[in-house]
Amino acid sequence: MVTVSMVVNGTKVDKEVEDSLLLAYFLRETLGLTGTHVGCDTTQCGCCVVHLNGISVKSCTVLATQADGASVTTIEGLAHGAELHPVQRAFRECHGLQCGFCTPGMIMAATELIDTHPGPLTEEIVREEMEGNLCRCTGYHNIVKAILVAAEEMRLPGRAAAGD
Amino acid sequence: MVSSPIFRTVGQPLRRKEDERLITGRGQFTDDFALPGQVWAVMVRSPYPHARLDGIDSTAALSMPGVLGVYTGADCIADGLGEIPHNPVPSTNFDVKLTGPGGGPVFIGSHALLPADRARYVGEAVAMVVAETRQAALTAAEAVEVTYEPLPWVADTVEAARPDAPRLWDDLPDNILVDSSFGDAAATEAAFARAAHVVSMVARIGRVTGVPLEPRAALGSLDAETGRYTLYAGSGGAVRQKHELAKVLGVEPDRLRVVSLDVGGNFGTRNRAYVEFGLVLWASRKLGRPVKFRADRSESFLTDYQGRDLVSEVSLAIDQNGKFLAMRASNLSNVGSRCVSLSPLSKGSGLITGSYDIPCATLRSRAVYSNTMSTQAYRSSGRPEVTFAIERLIDKASRELGIDRFELRRRNLVKPSQMPYQNAVGSIYDSGEYELNMDRLLRLADWKGVPTRREAARRRNKLFGVGFANYVESSIGTPKERADLIVTSGGIEVVIGTQPAGQGHETSFAQVTADLLGVPFEQVKITLGDTDIVSAGGGTHSGRSMRHASAVITLGSADLIAEGKKRAAGLLEAAEDEVAFEDGIFRSGASNRSIDWFELARLSGTFRIRRDNEMHTPVFPNGACMCEIEIDPETGGLEITHYSTVDDVGRCINPLIVHGQTHGGIAQGVGQALWETCFIDPESGQPLSGSFTDYGMPRFDNMPSFATEIVEVLSPTNPLGIKAGGEGGTTPAPAVIMSAIEDALAEYGPIEITMPATPLKIWSAIQDMRRQQSLPTGIKGVA
Repeated sequence: MVTVSMVVNGTKVDKEVEDSLLLAYFLRETLGLTGTHVGCDTTQCGCCVVHLNGISVKSCTVLATQADGASVTTIEGLAHGAELHPVQRAFRECHGLQCGFCTPGMIMAATELIDTHPGPLTEEIVREEMEGNLCRCTGYHNIVKAILVAAEEMRLPGRAAAGD
Repeated sequence: MVSSPIFRTVGQPLRRKEDERLITGRGQFTDDFALPGQVWAVMVRSPYPHARLDGIDSTAALSMPGVLGVYTGADCIADGLGEIPHNPVPSTNFDVKLTGPGGGPVFIGSHALLPADRARYVGEAVAMVVAETRQAALTAAEAVEVTYEPLPWVADTVEAARPDAPRLWDDLPDNILVDSSFGDAAATEAAFARAAHVVSMVARIGRVTGVPLEPRAALGSLDAETGRYTLYAGSGGAVRQKHELAKVLGVEPDRLRVVSLDVGGNFGTRNRAYVEFGLVLWASRKLGRPVKFRADRSESFLTDYQGRDLVSEVSLAIDQNGKFLAMRASNLSNVGSRCVSLSPLSKGSGLITGSYDIPCATLRSRAVYSNTMSTQAYRSSGRPEVTFAIERLIDKASRELGIDRFELRRRNLVKPSQMPYQNAVGSIYDSGEYELNMDRLLRLADWKGVPTRREAARRRNKLFGVGFANYVESSIGTPKERADLIVTSGGIEVVIGTQPAGQGHETSFAQVTADLLGVPFEQVKITLGDTDIVSAGGGTHSGRSMRHASAVITLGSADLIAEGKKRAAGLLEAAEDEVAFEDGIFRSGASNRSIDWFELARLSGTFRIRRDNEMHTPVFPNGACMCEIEIDPETGGLEITHYSTVDDVGRCINPLIVHGQTHGGIAQGVGQALWETCFIDPESGQPLSGSFTDYGMPRFDNMPSFATEIVEVLSPTNPLGIKAGGEGGTTPAPAVIMSAIEDALAEYGPIEITMPATPLKIWSAIQDMRRQQSLPTGIKGVA
């Protein structure tokens, strides 16, 4: 067992955990933040993407101890209170989700993509950059649309992204 | 009197009610539930496709830290557990009647939670370990010593049907569990005898799996005080799971509550009970602790109910004018090791003639056991298979007869004036404009621009292909549905027994209810998935939900309005027959007073009605589909550049949702054509597609955006004229992709590529054809 300390969605947490505990299960089972999902065991599906110090990581492939001292944002921490993040809004507006299981990872990965990509996003760039996230319901069509809509909105002055 | 409803929200792309929780991480998926004191179950799975179980020694596992129990098939028998009561033979009045060989009953292999005699597929659970933590259970499972005596096995569909194939069940003389014939054999033979042309082919539609992104999971508990079980488990219908698992446990259904709230994808994989669902409930009884199971992805690939796996031999008799005279088909479906559903075989059987007016047909439908995971209805069960057979056969006929593929189809399509149209195997198509669908599609897909795009591709050294397919499919499904409609002073609640996994029932059902009752959409709440609230219902499969829900809600709304009038009469001081209802308001002409639903409930108390409906008549969604692809002849790499569909879904309640369903359906059909396969090593019988690294998925970067158009030819079979949406995306997709590949490679001659058409297969086919024709590399006609 080892003690880890980190800031999760703005709140400091200190927990004693098994050395082998993955960040995804630390979030889900230790902290009860079940919005982060796990859809595979091979770092392929992207359902578990969270932001670790502002960077997208697949939390099923990060040990909780590796996040010691870090700041973690999950899907639960993306909105500013009742005000949804533009990417969350765009997913709803464009019907970018169906069953919703891949959605938290999609939204977290898309948010980082929009925040960090230099220059405007195109459909081709979105399809290439998001390749590490799988969805079985939407055929990706409306997710691509949602990300482009959110990117456009977030580029507008005075509409800075919430969260992180 | 009741005026007809005003459709304010029906037909509108309203944003979904379910999204807010799902985009903020507040969904309630199975593994999100945790109960105090819960422990973990892990399965010990057979590494052999077929093996006798000669003994299971759990001594070492039981001595490991945290281990609470190890359970086997012998323990299931000792505890008197029942088998999962699968009911695989579709039985609405309109399903084709499948029988065993010789017309007898269909033999259904026993499906105990854990087998005591043999393991019949790789991955079959033969023992369960329960421990304080999942890690402890995983470690202990490695220490369970199972003595297997490997037996001869068979996995391939055609091999399994041979009389001398290794047998799965001692009660059968071979592996054939269904052998039925339909249609008019004599008339068909006569038509073939006089035909100017006969075209034949064998279509192999391989084994794939649904891959819902939420791995299946279950959490079972027994309340010692009340003696009631609770199961949290996402499924395709909690009511069915309740009844089947109660039988397994040997308790009355009211002693089991099943909770299935947010479900992370289904596509058919979750429509039948899984052994682990019964096992966690049983273990919770034995240990007095809640027990949880969560499949990892490899377990899901091995042991989720799988899909397709049909071999279809088809022949078409054609006269000298290109008119189809008759069709002959023989379909062989691989059900795997247990028969959990014959829906794929049955639904396909009724649709072998596709969208075409073929006067006579004969069909032999067979199903066979094999040492593989069981198959189940998978997205658009049975229809992509037969659509593939007829549409690919017509493309072949077009080539052989030298008749343009669109022209050949136009000459034979069922015409609107023939509706309702009974096809040669007895299915009655309700409505549709099949040729108009083609015209709409050719416009949507910019058929006129094809030569320009073909030329542009050639200049880039790419082979350009256009694929085309028509389709008609059937939506049947469990015939019974129930709705409870409850009026309170704050809103209207509808409790109903369908089970969405992303289809947006909370939204589209609320649209229907809001318009039928004349209330705001925001004030309607749909409740699903908890059997302590939902008392009956058929779940979600076969495109049944919108049609069945709208029908029972329509009937229930009429009852509710009648009840409302009774109550309003008292409050408005009018006779009941003087109260009129229009657009959400009860009005008395005599007293010139009115009252709405919520005021009515506030003054007279909450009221509810319960309505049951039984509806057997199927509907036949239909459409047409085209795609354009480009192939790099030097790598076999393929890119889909355009993909267009026209889908007649009957009345469309929410186009945002229906288009979305179509998109996802397309991806699954394209996936089968290009990448997906549950590959089994022919030497060892080992499944080799066990993770996302070796099962080809549709991804962001291999899928295009789509052009989808909805057509609404109302069905005369149900109150709102609904057919079904979504599965129409899948139904023509394998045919249309393979048609495009054939078109792209046409200059080399006819190709034989089986699905999935991977780049290696395409590249190899190009090399073979070049060798045969001694062609230089590069594209013909391109310098």
